[in-house]
This record gives sequence, C-alpha cells and structure tokens, in this order.
Amino acid sequence: MSEATNETVCGAIRDALRMIIDPELGRNIVDLGLIYDVSVEDGGIAHVTMTTTTRGCPASEYLKEAVRNCVWYVPGVEYAEVRLTYEPAWTPEMMAS
Amino acid sequence: MPGATLSRWTMSYFAAACLFLVIGEGMMVIGYGYPFAGVDAPETLALVHVLAIGWLGLLMVGALLQFVPVLVAAPLRGGRLALPVLLLLVGGLLLLVGGFGALAGVGGLSPGVLPLGALLLVTGFGLAAAMLAATLFAARPLPLPARFVGLGLLALVATVLIGAAFALALSGAVASDLITTLLIHGVPLHAAFGLGGWLTLTAVGVSYRLLPMFMLAPEEARGTSRVVWWAGSAALTLVVVRIAWLVFDASATEEPLALAGLLAAVATILYCADVVRLFRERRRKAVELNIRASYAAFAALLLSVVMFLIPGARAAAGEGAGAIVYLFVFGWLTGLGLAQLYKIVPFLTWLECYGCVLGRAAVPRVQDLVREGHSSLWFCLYYGAVAAATGSLFAGSPLWFRAALLLQLIATLGLAAELVRARMLSSVAEPLRFPVGTPRPHLFLPISRQQE
Repeated sequence: MSEATNETVCGAIRDALRMIIDPELGRNIVDLGLIYDVSVEDGGIAHVTMTTTTRGCPASEYLKEAVRNCVWYVPGVEYAEVRLTYEPAWTPEMMAS
Repeated sequence: MPGATLSRWTMSYFAAACLFLVIGEGMMVIGYGYPFAGVDAPETLALVHVLAIGWLGLLMVGALLQFVPVLVAAPLRGGRLALPVLLLLVGGLLLLVGGFGALAGVGGLSPGVLPLGALLLVTGFGLAAAMLAATLFAARPLPLPARFVGLGLLALVATVLIGAAFALALSGAVASDLITTLLIHGVPLHAAFGLGGWLTLTAVGVSYRLLPMFMLAPEEARGTSRVVWWAGSAALTLVVVRIAWLVFDASATEEPLALAGLLAAVATILYCADVVRLFRERRRKAVELNIRASYAAFAALLLSVVMFLIPGARAAAGEGAGAIVYLFVFGWLTGLGLAQLYKIVPFLTWLECYGCVLGRAAVPRVQDLVREGHSSLWFCLYYGAVAAATGSLFAGSPLWFRAALLLQLIATLGLAAELVRARMLSSVAEPLRFPVGTPRPHLFLPISRQQE
C-alpha cells in the first residue's frame, strides 16, 4: 500500500472512531482528544494510541476494546493494535472546541 | 474482561443499603427510637445501627469495592470475599438489632445474640478492611484520596472493636470494670470514630477523586487538601488518646476531645473551601443533578460541624445534640450517599449493559438512563424534609418530626424508584435501549463473571 493509501485509511479510522462515545461526557472520543495517535503500516496494520479521561476509570478497558473492534472493521485494516497510555495525562484542554 | 474493574457485588450492597435506609426511616415514622426514646435506649441503638451499618456501612463498603481500584488504578485484592462480607454484615446486623430488641423487651429474643452479632460484624468489616487495605498497600505510594480511605479504614477497625466491647458488656457475657468504663464514657467516641472517622473521612477522600472526574476540574492535590488529611489524622489520634486515658483514669479530662473538635472544624472548613474551588474551576459547565445534590450535602456538613462547636446550639439540639447529629447523618452522609448513588448506579449499569457493544452499535449516554427532572423534585423534597426534621428536633416537636420523616421517606422511595428505573433502562429511548448483544441488567444480583 502506498503512503497516500495509508493516510486515507488513517482518516477512515478516525471517522469510524467518532461513533464511540465517552459514556459520562457523551461526546465522541476523537473530539474529546482521547485518541493520541493513529498510524497504518503497509499490509493494513493499524496502531492506535489512546487514553481515557481519568486513570483507573472502570470504562477504560471497555473503551479500549471498543476502539479495537471498531478499527478492525475499517476497510483496508488487516490487523489492529490499540495501546492505552496516560503519558501525557488527558486534560480538558485537549477537547476540540 | 481482563484489566477491567467492574465490582461484581457492588449493586447488591447498594440494594441492601437502600432497603435498610427505608427500614430506618420507616422506624422513625412510626415513632421508634430517638426522639421517642432516650439516645441510649435499646430502641435507639437498634435504629442507629440499622442506619449506620445497614445503610451507610453497606453503602460505603459497596462503593469502595468499586472505587478503591479507581483511586489507585490497580485491581481489587481478594474480590472473592465480597459476597461473604455482605452476608456477614447483614447477618451480624440482624443479630445485633435482635439483641437490642431483646433489651427493649421484645419477646422471643435474647441479649445473648449481641456477642454473636458483634463477632459476625467484626469478621465482616475486618475482611472488608483487609481487602481494601491490601489493595491500597499494593499501590503505594498512595495518592491523597486513597490516603483518606486508608485513614477511614483505621477508624472503621476502631469503631467495630469498640462496638464489639459494648456488645459484650450489654449482653452480660463479660463483666469488666474497663469495659463498663468504656460503655459509660465511650459512646460518643464510638460515634466519632464511626461517623467522623470511618464514614466522613472516607467520603471526603472518594469525593476528592470523583468530583474532579465528574466536573472535569483539576485533579492535582492542593495544600489545603493535605491539611484536611493531617487535621483529620490528628483529630482521630486525639480520640485514641482520650480512649487510652479512660483506661487509666475514668475521670480523665475531655480536653483531647475539645481539641479534636476544633481540628475537625478546621478540616471541614478547608474541605468545603476545596469543593467550592473545584466547582469554580470545573471545565464542564453543565452541572448535573448528582453534583448539585452533593453540594447540598456539603452545606449540611459545614452547618452541622459549626453548630456542634457552638455550645448554645449544641445545648438546644436536645439530648446528645440529637438535632445536629441528625443533620450530619441525613443532610451530609445520607445526602451525599444518595447523590452519588444517583450517578454511580446509572454509570455501572451503562458499563454492564453497553460496555460490551460500544464501538459496534450506537449507545445512549449515562445521562440518558435517568430522568433528571423527576429526580430533582425528589432531592428537593428530601433535603427540605431533612431541614424540617432537624428544625423539629431543635423545637422539641416529635409530631412534626414524624411528619417530616414521612416526607423524607417518600422522597427516599422516589429516588430508589428512579434508581430501579435506571437499572431497568426504562428511560432509554427504544432504538438505543437494547442494541444487539446488550445483556439484560439484573436489578440487584451480581453481574456475570464475563463482564468483570
């Protein structure tokens, strides 16, 4: 796959992730700034780095699993790897206005 | 689900706690216990323990099983003990209340069950404290909210041990000058450890974490919050000193208690300043009902502590400063408990039902599980009734007290019905209510192991 194609898949992944909401805030996780990074390697291997609004939140694993499931179904993705990080910690300033 | 921290039995704890709250309020409506009996009458002891152990104790243990892992971002240790602890606490409470009933002259019961009830309660609370302490210990260094919980657990152990000594003395199983002295002078200390140490310090610690979470306010610990912890620790230490002093000299001075009261007041004022600051610095401008109802509880805390420090107000509050204690228990502890239940129950229900379909189907928000308009009315009625009941105790009017309690009971039942609706997803619009793959929630039974 070309670099342009990978970028297209990255965009498709971000669009797909907008269907996942943070249950408490009720906004999608992309606009909340919870998705730190999305990249796609040749062969359709997608890497997503994400966080949650608070460390230790009981919703963390559900959100991570939801992102993995969602990315997996994006056309062009053959494998999805999701990493949960708290470096840096999320702050409300990361939300899209 | 690996790594997730959804407490399996918390909803069962909450259901049992709400049941005991309704029973306790119902007892007062029919005129059982204080102010229709003395503060140290067996009827009052039965009522107080239904509320302190049945309602507040079960509520707090159930909440901590869920939220201590959140405070320290680590899994709960010994989670398998949650059900045995629940059974021990409920069984122990029923025996304890039965023993008090026997002391009150209820036929067919014996005060001899008091030590057995105490044994079950010591075991149950001991196991709960061990689970939570092990979770905290494994996650050191602890953030400030978790350190409050640690302090609260120490106070819980002290409360339960003193209570067990009282049970031995009241049952007649043990005759000892030391325990008799403790029984005569130690009841306020038992209450201080339980209401001030265990329940209040723990609630303060959890709120330092939950309020920033729900309001999107800065989470970092402030100097004032650290002073609250140190003042609380010092106040508890002074209560221990007072008890130790009693062992050697029954006529010991009460100066340590006066100082402990002042420290508690300093801690309360700083804590209230902290929660006001959190409110002002919040990034989430829409203030949800659980937050508004929590701030009413903070006002009740401040008012009750300030009134307790004013000798004239304390004297006007009746035997054992009953009116002020009432405001503290129902305005502060119960008000905060109901406010947080109104958030926690829908949140856990959402995770239980929609967590596993998130990302595969459109799902509602947590707020969609509740009816804020209806619940606002119930909270207004609840706090209005608490204010009226407190006023009637100051005025020495038991008839008005019962009338206010009836309203308070109705409001409590209304809020409980809203929680049941949240559990049943009754308020969720039909297209979103049960997406394919959504498990049906159990009202109060535990979640399945796959959802943990």
